[in-house]
Amino acid sequence: MKNKNSPLFIILIILLTCSFLLASGCSSTEENDTKEAVSGTEITSGSDAKGSSEASTLVLGEMWEIDSINTLAGGGTLICEKAAITETLVGANDDFSLKPGLANSWEQLDENTWEFKLRDDVSFHDGSKMTVKEVKLTLEKIIEANPKVASMLKIDTIEEVDEYTLKIKTKEINPILPGILHYPDTAILSPSSFDGSGEFVKPIGTGPYKFESFDERTRILTVVRNENWWGGKVGLAKMVLKGIPDPNTRAMSIENGEVDFTVDVPYSETDRIGALDGIIVEKYKTPRVYKLDVNLKHDPLGDLRVRQAMSYAIDRHDIAEHVLYNVGEAAAGPFLPTMVWANKSLSPYTRDLEKANELLTAAGWVDTDGDGIRDKGGKPLKLNMMTYSARPGLPPMAEAITAQLKEAGIGVELEIMEVGSINDRRKKGDWNLYLAAYNIAMVPDPEYILTNWYMTDGSDNQPGYSNPKVDSLITEARKITDLKERYKKFSDVEAIVYEEQPMIIIAYYGCAIVKKDYVKGYVFDPTAHDYRINAGMYIEK
Amino acid sequence: MKYFLKKAGFMAFTVFAVCALTFFLMNVIPGGTAELILKHTLIGLEESATEEQLIQFSSRYNLDDPLYLQFFSWVKEAVLRGDMGTSYVYKKPVIYLLALRLPATVQLAGASMALAIVVGVSLGIYSALQENRISDHILRIITLFGVSMPGFWVALILILIFSLKLKLVPVSGYGNLENMLLPAAALSLHSIASIMRVTRTSMLETLGQEYIRFAKAKGLPVWKIISRHALKNAMLPVITVIGFQTGSLLGGAVVIEKIFAWPGIGGLLVDSISARDLPVVQGCVLAIVTMYLLVHFLVDMLYTHLDPRIRYG
Repeated sequence: MKNKNSPLFIILIILLTCSFLLASGCSSTEENDTKEAVSGTEITSGSDAKGSSEASTLVLGEMWEIDSINTLAGGGTLICEKAAITETLVGANDDFSLKPGLANSWEQLDENTWEFKLRDDVSFHDGSKMTVKEVKLTLEKIIEANPKVASMLKIDTIEEVDEYTLKIKTKEINPILPGILHYPDTAILSPSSFDGSGEFVKPIGTGPYKFESFDERTRILTVVRNENWWGGKVGLAKMVLKGIPDPNTRAMSIENGEVDFTVDVPYSETDRIGALDGIIVEKYKTPRVYKLDVNLKHDPLGDLRVRQAMSYAIDRHDIAEHVLYNVGEAAAGPFLPTMVWANKSLSPYTRDLEKANELLTAAGWVDTDGDGIRDKGGKPLKLNMMTYSARPGLPPMAEAITAQLKEAGIGVELEIMEVGSINDRRKKGDWNLYLAAYNIAMVPDPEYILTNWYMTDGSDNQPGYSNPKVDSLITEARKITDLKERYKKFSDVEAIVYEEQPMIIIAYYGCAIVKKDYVKGYVFDPTAHDYRINAGMYIEK
Repeated sequence: MKYFLKKAGFMAFTVFAVCALTFFLMNVIPGGTAELILKHTLIGLEESATEEQLIQFSSRYNLDDPLYLQFFSWVKEAVLRGDMGTSYVYKKPVIYLLALRLPATVQLAGASMALAIVVGVSLGIYSALQENRISDHILRIITLFGVSMPGFWVALILILIFSLKLKLVPVSGYGNLENMLLPAAALSLHSIASIMRVTRTSMLETLGQEYIRFAKAKGLPVWKIISRHALKNAMLPVITVIGFQTGSLLGGAVVIEKIFAWPGIGGLLVDSISARDLPVVQGCVLAIVTMYLLVHFLVDMLYTHLDPRIRYG
């Protein structure tokens, strides 16, 4: 090419075209956006809170995508605990003992009859009074829509005694009925939450915040202060909830100041972010445990000594510190030590490789061929372990456990799978170990978990554990309404399964609350299912 | 005209075949449809469903019918009434969910494709003109980088630079133009690289042709040679690549969507697959396949326009 300048000239032209194309492209998308905003599918309640000051608006980065605001179809926890729009009849203290909520008091009249006295000073956001009529309607709607809650409530009939007294008859004796009414899915709704044909439209509750709008396209939920909340003053004028499903994005969003409050940034990032100016990270325990199910039907695992040896080989404190970065804690039994019914005499198994060695040797497992894996009768001690990746702590924890068991001479092959495939394998019995994170207080009472996990026919008793003593203790305790006696029996169950280790409890699940330092008055509720926004939270810049 | 009819028939058959395949595959993957839907809606991922709940749920949605019957009734509803069913998880019509999510996907795919075409073609031409000079080598190394880097990593680095350090655009969200810049850039990187490489090769080949030498001999300025004669002839393979890339972008970019909290169709599809929300999976696949086929149809049309020697029919 003779003219040296010409390629440069071409580039110049191309760049010009680019900028032109880009500009025209941009403006056209902008037009699209505005058009959409007009025809957008926003549901608005009509209340106008434009006048509220910017300063007391909190933007919340929620950990799950906000797909539904329908409390009858999966939106219960979000609407009740995170958006604080609805409230339940029964509340819970930090030690999981019950306290009054929308119901002032309750009493068991006879085996199957309960009487609830409602507060008489509660109004819904639509201005109407809350009476037994609305409570009955809500409970009936939930029982119809949610088979899980229905099967726990075991309600036969609901009777209106007077305006503020409700009589509930259960099909069988059900001491945990008040506890279930603490579950967010049972939160009370105004009849105006539904349209004429009974379809859910928007949540209208009694809580500190009122539903303002939910944009289904951007999936942003906005709530505003309920000036007439029965509980008193509400801290924030407005709260904007956006779902940010990626933990890294949540971390960068709060660093960049786009959200004021978020949870569960990557565990490994908590300390770095907590050290930043203006951001506070607080770590709490939530009612959930990391648990390693052991398939007792498979040869070596039916042996108590092998299970105990495994428990001694696992370094729970090391896992809590280096895998969970202290978002969580080493666990002893299935319940948090802060729970009122927990057996507080138990402490986590500490790592003791010598003891593990003794136990395994006694059980006949010795490394005869020097390959690092113990064997017995020519068969090596090799197990498979399944887990899934929906919870970020699980895969690295499974890796750590694999390495720690290897040091005790137990070979583990790790498989990270999709939940559907895990179900399939569990049904076929084709598994040895399964690491999962189980909820331990859907209902603030030990009955639910102990029954499902340790009873011979328990619905979550995948290991196939069966101990007549445990079965009879649980069956007896279930019929006792006196809490002290009831909890005593459950504590005995805890002690037995601590000894027998049919499920190896590794650690308590944690939650990292990340907030800007001008967010004040936040109180963590350990009974919440992820976290709960309290009415007293406010902004002070 | 006959060609169009034939083409339309073929497209309809493809859509049907893909839907049928999806439907049966979804039912073959292990896990139990009713149980997984329950886990994803009402009872929690780690909880077990009771037998009673499973039976109740299965009968409500006719999940126990033979597969061919289930599929047949879905096709009947979809074809006769345009009703693609109701989501088990969201409890909303599938059409409604698609209408919510598709615009976001189309916007993102459109923006990143526009970016990819402009940047990719320009760089490709430049690289061809600079063949084997330093700048050509540097560009080719950069594109190799672009093809090799995983999208999620590039996305995080882009956020780090443009949001956290430079404070130019927000980290995530949807609705404003500024929200679109980073995901579009992260998504287009791979397409830019492919388009640039094809443009370069094709351009070099064209530039070696005799008519180009003739044009040069005639004394035409370089930019005129490129824009009038070379570019049009070099575009055929580039158009093919653009077609493929657009198709895959329309299928949704699951990872990028998740990082930027972008409400596109990719996330919907993946969530629905893990929850076994069959009607939604079917709807998403149907939409994606249709868009893909349309794009390819457009590409075919563009061929005849660019090269009149190509005739269909």
